[in-house]
Amino acid sequence: MSKKQKKIIVLASMFALTFGIVPNVSAMHIMEGYLPGGFCIAWGVICVPFLIAGFMSIKKTLNEHRNLITLLAMSGAFVFVISSLKIPSVTGSCSHMTGTGLGAILFGPSAVSILGIIVLLFQAILLAHGGLTTLGANTFSMAIAGPFVSYGIFFVCKKCRVNKHISIFLAATLGDLFTYCVTAVQMALAHHADTTIMGAMGKFLLVFAPTQLPLAIIEGIITVLIIMGLETYAKPELRTIGFLKEAK
Amino acid sequence: MITIDKLCYTSKLRYENAGEKFAFAMITLLFCVMSRSIVVACIVLAVTGILTVYKGGIPFSRYLHFMTVPLAFLILSTIAIVLNVKHEPLDLFAIPIGSLYLTGSLDALLYALQLILTALSAVSCLYFLSMTTPMPDILNVLGKLHCPKLMIELMLLIYRFIFVLLDTAYYISTSQNSRLGNRDYRTSLKSFGSLGSVLMIRAVKRSNALYSAMEARCYDGTIHVLNETYPPKKKVIVWIVLFEIFLFSIMIWRRFFT
Repeated sequence: MSKKQKKIIVLASMFALTFGIVPNVSAMHIMEGYLPGGFCIAWGVICVPFLIAGFMSIKKTLNEHRNLITLLAMSGAFVFVISSLKIPSVTGSCSHMTGTGLGAILFGPSAVSILGIIVLLFQAILLAHGGLTTLGANTFSMAIAGPFVSYGIFFVCKKCRVNKHISIFLAATLGDLFTYCVTAVQMALAHHADTTIMGAMGKFLLVFAPTQLPLAIIEGIITVLIIMGLETYAKPELRTIGFLKEAK
Repeated sequence: MITIDKLCYTSKLRYENAGEKFAFAMITLLFCVMSRSIVVACIVLAVTGILTVYKGGIPFSRYLHFMTVPLAFLILSTIAIVLNVKHEPLDLFAIPIGSLYLTGSLDALLYALQLILTALSAVSCLYFLSMTTPMPDILNVLGKLHCPKLMIELMLLIYRFIFVLLDTAYYISTSQNSRLGNRDYRTSLKSFGSLGSVLMIRAVKRSNALYSAMEARCYDGTIHVLNETYPPKKKVIVWIVLFEIFLFSIMIWRRFFT
């Protein structure tokens, strides 16, 4: 273990102690049937341009380098598996990370939009996280908004020469938080029974905050640890993955 | 490792035509979400429950367990819908906190109840599909619906790789456990980090090996799979159509005549 890793782990334990408990949460998928029909369609339509852009970029990459298809599929499976594993929490209850921040940093945001919708479809059918009618809304918050913010932050930090690990942490954590805010907006737009939309949004944000805030921070820490591990042991592999990003 | 996937292969409804099941689940789901009425939700909950458990042979306790998966989300969001902090109390209940009230209205409670039932019935539709139809069959149906070829191919590959990687992750975490890798919070975080990075390395290596293997077997852009097809049965189609018409008429009745 290097000194830096040690430092990060000490920081992580401090966070864990201050937050105390992490309740039983998965990443914030809107469940099946929770949004009215109009909203399902609207969010789906909003996703379409991003998906087409992602699809085109993937197609172009694959036409030039046919052999990248297995790598792309492995990356998708990796995001699914990472998000389905229990991440360590203090009380032993289970929570999952979204894995989209990691995906965006590793594979770039346009590939993640397509991989994300496939992963979300599988999560809905195989794990019952999320749903088919809410696929559009979930895709927008988790596979488009979150990764784009993550990648943007990562890119800006790189330009400003911020320490790489700090920028990865910021990218993953803020991306996660942004996903959570977008989800709250989506729910508030659909369900504001006796308050204004802003009021409903505040309530949704407040209710999900105790589960989502610690989760975002833990996700950031784990993303840093994973990328540190990759940089230590897998420089050539990282170059292959970087190829996916550059060949856009 | 993924329970739903295991269950759907043992379901008694597995060998029905996949298109039929897909259409049934999708149309019913659509009606549920569009109508948002309590009556429709109850009927759908009952019918899909009976079909999955009784006809499909999924153990009832398992089914109940799966219905509680989205419970955390459901409870939290219902709290957010029903509870309000206001200066004046609303009609259902009010708990004074200083000069404010923690309060809720009857309308909001009814709205939340309707929402919970709709969501549960929609989930039961989803379970009907996922507990009776294996993923390759669903992908086959998607292919017939003209989903882009590249997407289908990616999905097929991802579906296969999920299990490969889950296996690898399982072995790694077993060996981490046996070496006191989850002794306390610090080590477990570190273990998870190294699990993630090793998993990625393995995934990249595997994907290279796999592409070589595929190319050695004349891979030219499409994976040809022999599909087992089971022809649709007329009786089943008639029943599905009748049920959907019934559901639709109830939906109309609830919307315009009550």
